[in-house]
Amino acid sequence: MQGAEATTLPSGDETRSTRDLSADITAFTQRSSRRYNRARTSLKDLFTDLYSYGLALGCAIALAASMVMTVKDALPGRGEAGSLRISDHWPTIPAPALWTLTVYAALTTVMILARRMGPITVQGAEGQWWLPLPVDRRPMVLPAFLRRCILLGLASAAAFMPFSVLTSAELTLPAHLLGSATFGAVAVVSVGLAGWMQLEPINPRPGRLAGAVALIPCAVLPSLTNSPWALTVAAVSAAVLLCAVASRTGQVRGADLIRGGAVAGHARSSFFFMDTNELLRALHGDRPIGSAHRAAGFYTRPVQGPVAALFRADIVAFLRLQGSLALPLLWLGIVVAVLFVDKSLPALAQIGVIAIAGCATTSSTGTVARRTALVPGLDAILPVSPLWVRCSRAIMPALVMILWMTCLTGILVLLGAAPPALILLGALAGIGMGAGAVRGATRPVSDWSVPPVETPFGPIPQAQIGSLLRGLDFTVLALAPALVSLYAGDVHPAAIIIQALFSAGALGVVIRRSP
Amino acid sequence: MAELGAVLEVEQLLVGYTGAPVCGEVSVSLRAGEVLGVVGLNGAGKSTVARTIAGRQMPLSGSVSVQGFAADPDNVRFRRNVAAVFDDDLFFPSLTVREHLLLVARGHSMKSPDRAVDAELEFFGLEGRADVVPEALSSGQRRRLLLAAGLMRPSTLMILDEPEQRLDPLMRDSLAHRLAGHAQDGGAVVLVTHDPALLTSVASTCLVIDDVVTEVTPEQGASTIARS
Repeated sequence: MQGAEATTLPSGDETRSTRDLSADITAFTQRSSRRYNRARTSLKDLFTDLYSYGLALGCAIALAASMVMTVKDALPGRGEAGSLRISDHWPTIPAPALWTLTVYAALTTVMILARRMGPITVQGAEGQWWLPLPVDRRPMVLPAFLRRCILLGLASAAAFMPFSVLTSAELTLPAHLLGSATFGAVAVVSVGLAGWMQLEPINPRPGRLAGAVALIPCAVLPSLTNSPWALTVAAVSAAVLLCAVASRTGQVRGADLIRGGAVAGHARSSFFFMDTNELLRALHGDRPIGSAHRAAGFYTRPVQGPVAALFRADIVAFLRLQGSLALPLLWLGIVVAVLFVDKSLPALAQIGVIAIAGCATTSSTGTVARRTALVPGLDAILPVSPLWVRCSRAIMPALVMILWMTCLTGILVLLGAAPPALILLGALAGIGMGAGAVRGATRPVSDWSVPPVETPFGPIPQAQIGSLLRGLDFTVLALAPALVSLYAGDVHPAAIIIQALFSAGALGVVIRRSP
Repeated sequence: MAELGAVLEVEQLLVGYTGAPVCGEVSVSLRAGEVLGVVGLNGAGKSTVARTIAGRQMPLSGSVSVQGFAADPDNVRFRRNVAAVFDDDLFFPSLTVREHLLLVARGHSMKSPDRAVDAELEFFGLEGRADVVPEALSSGQRRRLLLAAGLMRPSTLMILDEPEQRLDPLMRDSLAHRLAGHAQDGGAVVLVTHDPALLTSVASTCLVIDDVVTEVTPEQGASTIARS
C-alpha cells in the first residue's frame, strides 16, 4: 500500500485542529523533558559537556587540517613516483570525469544511507506514545527532519573541504568554500530525495532509480566554482525539494517512521562506541530476507557427520544472508576507474584504493560470522570442536574473496599492469582475506575503561584502536604480497611462497585462536 | 459485505511471516458491547492475529475492517476508534507517569484531562508513583501504566494482548470489571489471554487459535487454556 494513499487525513478545519493539537502534544513532551533534564543537570555538568565537545571538535579539525596539508605538500612530487603501468592501447578516463564520479558516488551513498535511516523518523517512545494519537503527525516529525537536513548539509560541506583541497590544489580559498557549500546543498538534495522516496509516490525500486538519476546533475555542480550560480541552483533545488517533502511528512507510514528511527538510533550508538560490526548490523538488520528458501534443496540432502552438517549450514546461511553482488562489483569498478584515469594518480595512491576496495569487500562477506558472533551458544549445539566451527565460518568468505581477487588481478593482468602469475597471487591472497573477514566479525567490543597509553606522540587509546583494527590487520597483511608485486610490476617466485605463507598463517591463526 | 452494526469484521484472515501462515484462517464478526476472547497454545499465533487486526502487521490474505474501514493505523479515523495495548515497554525517559497519561488524554481531546488522569491513577493504584519517571516503576507498574493509557482514551474497539501479564490477582479482577463495564457502555474488545478466569468473566465469545481456528464459548475456551 502506498503511503500517500494509506493515510487518510481529515480535511479543512479538522486537519488544522489536529495539526495544532499535534503541535501542542509535541511541545508538551519537549517542555516536560526539558524541565526534567534541567532539574538534573548542573551548570558545571553543562560547562564540562560543552568544553569536552568543543575540545574534541577542535582536535578533530586540527588533525584533519594537519593531515590534509601534509598530503597536499606531498602531492606535487607524485609525478616522480609514477603510476601503475597500464598498456597504452586502453582508453583513459579524464580526471574531471573521475572527480565527478566520486562526488556522485558520495551523494548516492548519502541518499541510500539516509533512506535506510529514515530520514523522516520517530524514536522508540515517540512511536509508542505519539503515533497512535488521532492527530496529524507532521508537527511530530517535521522539526527533527529539518534539523537533520541542516546538520547533514553542514557536515557534508565540512567533509568536502579536504577533498576539494587535495584534488583541486589550484583553486583559491573562496573557490574551495564555494565548492564545499555547493556540495553541502546537494547533500541536502540527497536527503530530500530519500525523504521523497519515503513518501512512496512510486514503488521502491523505480524510486531509487529516479533518485539516482536526479543526482547526476547534482554531482556536476560542486565542480563549477567559478561563479555562484552553481551554489544558487543547488540551494534552490534543496529548498524546493524540502518544501515539497515537508508538506507531506505527516503522510509517511507509521511503521516506516518507527523502523527508520530504530535503525538510526542503533547506527548512532554503534558509531559513538566505534563498533563497526554493530554499525553494519544496524544498517543491514532491517532489510527483509528475500532469499529465505535459497539452497533449501542442498540443505535437506543427507550429510555424513556433524562437521559436514556444520559446513553445509554455514554455506546455506551465507547464500541466504549475503547481500547482492552489487557491492563487490562496485568496488571492482572503482578500482578499474582509478586505473584508467588520465592524469594518473601516483602508484601508491592507486594501490591504496585497491587496498581499501579489498578491505571493504572483505568486510561485506562477514555477514554470517557477524550474526553468529551474537549467539555464541549456537556453535555449541553440534558436537564439533570450535576449531572446525571457525574453519566452517571462514569457508564462504574465503571462497568469495578468492573469486573477487581472481577477477581483480585478472583485470590488472589484462590491462598489462603485471604478469599472469599475479592471478595466482590474488587467489592465494583471497584465502587470507576470508580469514580477515571472520577475524573482523568476531571483534570484541572496545573496552573504554582501559586508559590510553603514553607515547612520544601523546596518549594513544591503544586497546580501542587494537579492537578497531582487528580483522583489517589480517586483510591488509594477506593483500600485501600481491600489492607489492603489483607495485613492482613483476611477480617474483618468492612472492608466491610468501603470499601462501601469509594467507595460510592468517587462516591458521583465525581457526586456532578463539575470539 | 460487512455485517450490519459490526464494529469489527474479519474475513478469511491469514496471518504470518515471510509468506508463511502461523495458523488457520480467521473469520469473525464483533458487535458493539461484545468481548472476543482469543486463546491458544504458545506460538499458536494469537498475538500475530491481534497485531494484524490492530493493523500493526500486514495480513497474508483476507481483510480486517473496523466500522466499515480497512484496518490501517495510518488512518486518523482508525486511530480514533481503536485502542491497542501490546507488550511494548517503551516510555519517554524524562516524562513522569502523570505526564504520559496527560499526553494521551490531551491527544484524544478529552474534556477534563487532569480529572481523567487522576481517575486512572487511582484505579491502577499509581497515585503514589504519579510524579516519577517510568524507569523508577516496577515491571507490573509499567504494565498498569500501559493499560491505563489504553483504557482511559475513548475507543469503539479495544485490542488487548495478554493484559493480565505482570498483574497481581486483585488487579486482574479490577481489570475484568473494567473491561466488562467498557463492553456494557457499548465498546467492543478483542482480548488475547491465558487467564481462564479473566476470559470467562469478560468474554462473550471465544476463538481458539490453531491450525484450524474455531469459535467456541468462553467456558470451552477456558478449558482449552487449562489443558495447555
